[in-house]
Amino acid sequence: MEMFDWGWLIVIYLFFGGLGAGAYFVSGLATYLGNATTYRSIARWGAYLAPFPIIIGSGILIFDLFRPWNFYRLFLTIQFTSPMSIGSWILMVFSGVSLINAFLWVPRETKERLFSRKRVKKWKGLVDWSWKPGTQERLRNVFAAMGLPLSAGVALYTGILLGAIPARPFWNTPMLAQLFLFSGLSTGTAAVIILTSFTRDHALTGDQDAKLLYTLDILLICLEMLIIVPFLLHAYLATASIQNSLQLILGGPYTLLFWGVVVLGGLLIPLLVEIYEIYPMVFKKHMHHSRALEVASGILVLVGGLTLRYVFVFGGQLSAFDPKVASLGLGMP
Amino acid sequence: MKQNEEETKKRYAMVVELKKCFNCKGCVVACRAENKVPLPISRNWIDESGVRGRYPFLGMTFEPAACNHCEDPPCERVCPTGATFRSPEGIVLVDNRKCVGCKYCILACPYDARSVNHRDRVIEKCTFCRHRLPEGRTPACVSTCMGHARHFGDILDPNSEVSRLLAEKDRYVKKKEAGTRPAFYYVY
Repeated sequence: MEMFDWGWLIVIYLFFGGLGAGAYFVSGLATYLGNATTYRSIARWGAYLAPFPIIIGSGILIFDLFRPWNFYRLFLTIQFTSPMSIGSWILMVFSGVSLINAFLWVPRETKERLFSRKRVKKWKGLVDWSWKPGTQERLRNVFAAMGLPLSAGVALYTGILLGAIPARPFWNTPMLAQLFLFSGLSTGTAAVIILTSFTRDHALTGDQDAKLLYTLDILLICLEMLIIVPFLLHAYLATASIQNSLQLILGGPYTLLFWGVVVLGGLLIPLLVEIYEIYPMVFKKHMHHSRALEVASGILVLVGGLTLRYVFVFGGQLSAFDPKVASLGLGMP
Repeated sequence: MKQNEEETKKRYAMVVELKKCFNCKGCVVACRAENKVPLPISRNWIDESGVRGRYPFLGMTFEPAACNHCEDPPCERVCPTGATFRSPEGIVLVDNRKCVGCKYCILACPYDARSVNHRDRVIEKCTFCRHRLPEGRTPACVSTCMGHARHFGDILDPNSEVSRLLAEKDRYVKKKEAGTRPAFYYVY
């Protein structure tokens, strides 16, 4: 028997799932807040980014299957008791919806260039239709509205996938799904921060878009920490098997990774950097402009999110109800 | 047809008399031979308690284990394609035509009773030697057991050997707190 049945590919897939969902979430939020100039670049870059991590992640997932030629079987049925079955369907819907959403955000000139080649010319009606006055804004709003619950569902599912297994006490707590949800949304926000840091026009938006991104990310990081604290407390006060599994991060193989990379490097340091960047906004109308800091804090959040999933995917597989020998419910023969 | 249904109303179970098991591992070998299970995996195994007690009153017990064929199997619950299912006789099986190999069931099993068979590219688990049952034979591990520690039969039949053992002796199941309701019993 292998020690780990789920490996790196699952870690990357869960990370990408959260990342894509987070990007769509931010994009949807920015679309919904309206104001054509201020939040446009967030909405656009978030929409561009959203489908690809999810599609690549789903590809990785299929590649990681032990019997990949059967993967279509996932879509011949819905098993309502299996998070993976429900998740596969959600991922499928998300991929489609986020692709259409990304298409809606492509500027007209680019679309026309895309559809000018002979072979795809017959689809050109699509461009005109999606660009009719009113239609395009309405469609974007509709897809933003769909995207908010859908992306929250995807990010939540990545946690429920692990949390639904009673046999692995390290996963089987009610907090895991929320932790993965907030972490996923935070990594998506961080990715959009990195992308938009190159395209943002300070003069045009008055840094209001940066304020939205940073406020959101600070909020999400705080929520993550508000999950981690009760996660540790709950686990410490729970049954022996959950308590024991906690040793993985409180004096076990994953202690340094969890506290050093996830909590310190992936949450606390980016939190401080982001607060430093944004706090002048409270008093004046500008922030600390530093692309290096923006990209650095974004990368730290991404690395932290990836490591969080690494710790949970690998650590959780080491946890069990109790050591094998202790299960011998025997007295002296 | 009616009579046929009556006949198939069975619930197979394994009962192990712990006092009679002396860790010869015959069951492990017999299973491997019968079901052609490649090394290094195995469908069944024997847990050892280690030496217990205080000299000179020392003892050691052995707990043979395999798939518990739970009445509420976590592996079946998490299976995304319905490949894992429970037969009418209560045997938990994998339909390989449906299995995508996500390994979710391996992680979900509290008994670690499933493993990856790289040779045949299937998920390997105990089947209670289902292919032998229609011929009236017991599973390979049971028929080979030298100490007669293993018993197999229908617990819905009050006159079966397993029913009698379970009625007469103290018994337990593994990880009862998992709520899986195993069909694999241990009696003292």
